[in-house]
Amino acid sequence: MIEKATGIDRTATVILLLGMAFVLAPLVIAFVTATQSYQQFVQAGGIRFRISGHFLDNIRLIITETQLPRQLWNSFVISLLVAAIKCAFAFTATFALVFFENRMNRVIFAVTIATVMLPLELVVITTYQIVANVLMPVNWIVKATGIDWLADRIAGVRVPELRLNLLDTYIGIAAPIATSCTSVFIYRQFFLTLPRDLPRAAAMDGAGPLRFMVDILLPLSWTPLIATFMFWFIGGWTSYLWPLIAASTPDAQPAVVGLAKLATTDPERIPEVPMLMTGALFVSIIPVTLIAVMQRQIVRGMNLSEK
Amino acid sequence: MTANAIRLDCVKKSFGMTEVIPELTAEFAASEFTVILGPSGCGKSTLLNMIAGLERVSGGRIFIGEKEVQDVEPKDRGCAMVFQNYALYPHMSVAGNIGYSLKVARVPRPDRERRVRVAAEFVGLSGFLERRPSELSGGQRQRVAIARAIVREPQVLLFDEPLSNLDAQLRHDMRMELSELHMRIGATTVFVTHDQVEAMTLADRVLILNNGRVEQFASPHEIYHRPATTFVAGFIGTPAMNLIKVIGDGRHLRLADGTEIAPHGRTGPVVLGIRPEKIGIGEGVIASEVIYREDLGSHTSFVVRLNGEQEVNVATPIGTELAGLDQLYLTFPEKDLHLFDSANGQRL
Repeated sequence: MIEKATGIDRTATVILLLGMAFVLAPLVIAFVTATQSYQQFVQAGGIRFRISGHFLDNIRLIITETQLPRQLWNSFVISLLVAAIKCAFAFTATFALVFFENRMNRVIFAVTIATVMLPLELVVITTYQIVANVLMPVNWIVKATGIDWLADRIAGVRVPELRLNLLDTYIGIAAPIATSCTSVFIYRQFFLTLPRDLPRAAAMDGAGPLRFMVDILLPLSWTPLIATFMFWFIGGWTSYLWPLIAASTPDAQPAVVGLAKLATTDPERIPEVPMLMTGALFVSIIPVTLIAVMQRQIVRGMNLSEK
Repeated sequence: MTANAIRLDCVKKSFGMTEVIPELTAEFAASEFTVILGPSGCGKSTLLNMIAGLERVSGGRIFIGEKEVQDVEPKDRGCAMVFQNYALYPHMSVAGNIGYSLKVARVPRPDRERRVRVAAEFVGLSGFLERRPSELSGGQRQRVAIARAIVREPQVLLFDEPLSNLDAQLRHDMRMELSELHMRIGATTVFVTHDQVEAMTLADRVLILNNGRVEQFASPHEIYHRPATTFVAGFIGTPAMNLIKVIGDGRHLRLADGTEIAPHGRTGPVVLGIRPEKIGIGEGVIASEVIYREDLGSHTSFVVRLNGEQEVNVATPIGTELAGLDQLYLTFPEKDLHLFDSANGQRL
């Protein structure tokens, strides 16, 4: 329903403007500070609302003196991996849940949704152990089932301890944060809006389930896929705790972690706030550009219906 | 195009504890147009899905031609299907929709394009090949669905209530087209509907299904003029046949209060059936009170009550004027009476 009353219009405008000011204020402060030099900042004795001409110098400083450009690339690859893996897993899982009748479906769906209750922060130590050696579960199974004992007894062979360390690698940083039950929920709601006879028509046309998924379901799902992909890309970009733990060298760290490390912990020294603010703007350029370009798709995807 | 008969041999279907089709045996002759007619929930769509292979049988066998197919994949049964909601692929053009099955079957592109053109021409959609389904009207979408079904030259064509989403005029036109299409293609056709007009006009033979059981399987003429059960009698015709509980004393059939209805040699309780248009008006002896009337121009349709008891539909012959009457006198001609067993509803 669209109201035409001018009173409501004005009130809404005022509320929106207030909200905009609230959201934009930190950005404006960041930008203003980013134009100042370190000396100006120290002399002023804190954050002052004064635009100065040192923005390009600060940018140059970020590019030449810090690891941020390299870390920006890390962030890009990691976010891409996170978003792609999330979408791929959620899409195939939802496909299985919606289009294959199974009496366990409701239980599986409930369990999937329940994983919201188990954020990575809660299991960060075990996750670290596994990423440090992804073959650890295999070693464990070998021991638990007594295969190593048997091999030793029968063939006299010692089963070696398998090791594969994924810390400091892109996939090692991306994989643990790349599961998403929220997308399962979103895709499920979308799939349920599709005509029920669609998979049956495809079956009559000779297309098997995989063919149906690739030829029919995937092209129809572009809008929700792109919308969720954008969300998870930005989610991957801003994730902090796990990358901080999993990446120990500056070369492997994503930009958000690198940015935090720029702030010196030396209590004797005033932090280089202008450079930090420039770094923050620098790091957010890619997500902001993406949102600006993809706005329309994101909104359409959230409408959850075909066309 | 070759056509194959479809034979259902003791086919059963149940979903969990719910038995949808207890046990059904029927044969649909090659090139014949069979309509499966029944109220919603009678199992007619399930039956069609089992023939198509979209639903597994719980027991029994299905033959298409000489081949036993109940465990064969849908694509290998030689069936094609037209769905109620068209089920077109929204992201593909008309040509893409029609040709998808050929693409899956890896038919080479030139051959595929030729066959798509032929099928589109067949249903009068030649100029629309590049359009999306969303740019077409309901009738055109239905034609795309039909073209998609016939492009593979199937031996068996299955229709699942394909006309129920169209408006009355379009439905009439599509009926004519479907009838003509069947004559040109000659595939064995099974058409599921709950609309008796579609059944009567399209079918060579009608299978009337009720609670998963066959009530009658015969030509439309036979079904109208010799309904096998009270269910069929009460289902076919607008309004349907009147079914009146009477008792025979050996010479006459009487209502419960003793009113004489018609001469007949039967004794004991029976159900008497008579079509509204066969009831004689005016000269008769059975008094009835008019409780509702509809003047349809060509004729008038009455609902009357016999001796304060059973309600009966009566249709006047075309051109009769019977305005302002509160009472009608009726006769039930003996040759137009149908008698059914009062216990099991079977025709006597």
